[in-house]
Amino acid sequence: MPDDAPHSVRQYELGYEEEGRLRGFGSACGFRTATWALLCPRCGERDLTEVELGRVGRIAAVTVQTVPAEQYLNDAPYAYLLVDLDGGGRVTGWMAGVSPGSPPTIGRRVRFVPGYRRGVQFELLPDEAPRG
Amino acid sequence: MRETWVIGAATTRFGKLAESAREAATRVALAAIDRAGVDPKAIGATFVSNCFGVAEHQAHLGPLVNTGLGIPETPSMAIESACSSSSAGLHEAFVHVAGGFTDVALVVGAERLSHLDTLRATSYFAMGADDPFETRQGATFPGLYAAIASAHQDRFGTRTEELGAVAVKNHANGALNPNAHFQRPISLATYLASPIIASPLRLYDCCPFSDGASALVLAAREVSRRPSAEPLVVRASARAGSIADLQDRPELTGIPASRRAAERAFRQAGLTPSQVDFAEVHDCFTIAEIVALEDLGFFPPGAAARAGAEGVTARDGRLPINPSGGLKAKGHPISATGAAQVVEVFEQVNGTAGARAVPKTEVALTHNVGATGGSCSVHIFGRR
Repeated sequence: MPDDAPHSVRQYELGYEEEGRLRGFGSACGFRTATWALLCPRCGERDLTEVELGRVGRIAAVTVQTVPAEQYLNDAPYAYLLVDLDGGGRVTGWMAGVSPGSPPTIGRRVRFVPGYRRGVQFELLPDEAPRG
Repeated sequence: MRETWVIGAATTRFGKLAESAREAATRVALAAIDRAGVDPKAIGATFVSNCFGVAEHQAHLGPLVNTGLGIPETPSMAIESACSSSSAGLHEAFVHVAGGFTDVALVVGAERLSHLDTLRATSYFAMGADDPFETRQGATFPGLYAAIASAHQDRFGTRTEELGAVAVKNHANGALNPNAHFQRPISLATYLASPIIASPLRLYDCCPFSDGASALVLAAREVSRRPSAEPLVVRASARAGSIADLQDRPELTGIPASRRAAERAFRQAGLTPSQVDFAEVHDCFTIAEIVALEDLGFFPPGAAARAGAEGVTARDGRLPINPSGGLKAKGHPISATGAAQVVEVFEQVNGTAGARAVPKTEVALTHNVGATGGSCSVHIFGRR
């Protein structure tokens, strides 16, 4: 699929890797996501709209992995997160500087950190930095 | 639909195969055929699962298995549904036999990854997840199920010790299974002392990488005049799907495909969860067993962890779960797992489960999940 297609996996990657934004799609049912589909996975709607997702949100689920994925060999331990973004949409990403004994808690505020590193990287908002 | 029976079942020991998946698949298929007491030439269709055959530089396993069984002209097909591959194969075999397209069908699942190092094996397993939106964002399979566990803990207060109770129970059962990968019981203290792999999941929350092969023979009742073992009557064979990515599902504490497949299966069978005597459920991680028991309707949401810790799901409990040891202790050779669950039901119903025999075996359920629940099979079995 060409880079200028309405929504594509490559376009999402270009968004977080080079443009510093999270691109996704929205559906008439209100569902918003960064993943890829031709029709809405929730309601089947064909008419999907390209959207820019928020950069700040709350942790919906979290784990600190001590055994890394192949592309994160030098980053363990790191957190794998599901984040509910302000304005709608839940995305996945990762966060450095965490401990498996005291993982970030669900509900903590995080923000997307645009940068040169792989994946969608998040950080805890400054006023909720880890203790100790 | 024709009444369909499982008339033969066999498995290798799970752990490390000394031979290729092709050889193990063929050998275990012949064992199942012999146990069924049928001529291999009676098989009208073969359904083979071997997700990661490419790790052995081998695809198109079906014709090789059939050739090895002396039935090269029998049609075969590969069925891939990640960890639920051979239960998907069972479903397809059921459709063929119950629908009258063939009288006898063979289901085989085999996997061999032990020749790979941990990183490469982990990378193969990760292929069942969404590469750009899960794996390349840092997720491993322990990480994905750990995310589910974190949400379950947050919503229901599920405790570490309750996760540990699943591991202790299934290792105790595996210790009684001569085909299990792990055959030693563990204590809760051992569980708690094991390292965190993906918080809150520890090493003993995770199933092992296993090699293994399992096979089933299905036949229409009308052609099974004198089965050589007590057959399993397939009372329901149901499959369902979920949105593939966890993050796109409306909730994180259950697997929609499990619920849908269970609803369909109970409707087909005309039964309710309370009528099931025992079950083999998909416990790739301890949290997976807890979530499965809630999705299948055995316990209300948030109640399964405590029930397990109180012994309800032990071999001598009200609802024995995973008497084989489950994926957790028996092992999880991806493509063999679904068929192996049915092998355990076959052994229990035939009275050949030895010390791990459960008290009642009139109605049994198997539940097999692909990846984090993008696909799921539920089968219900009864007696003649």
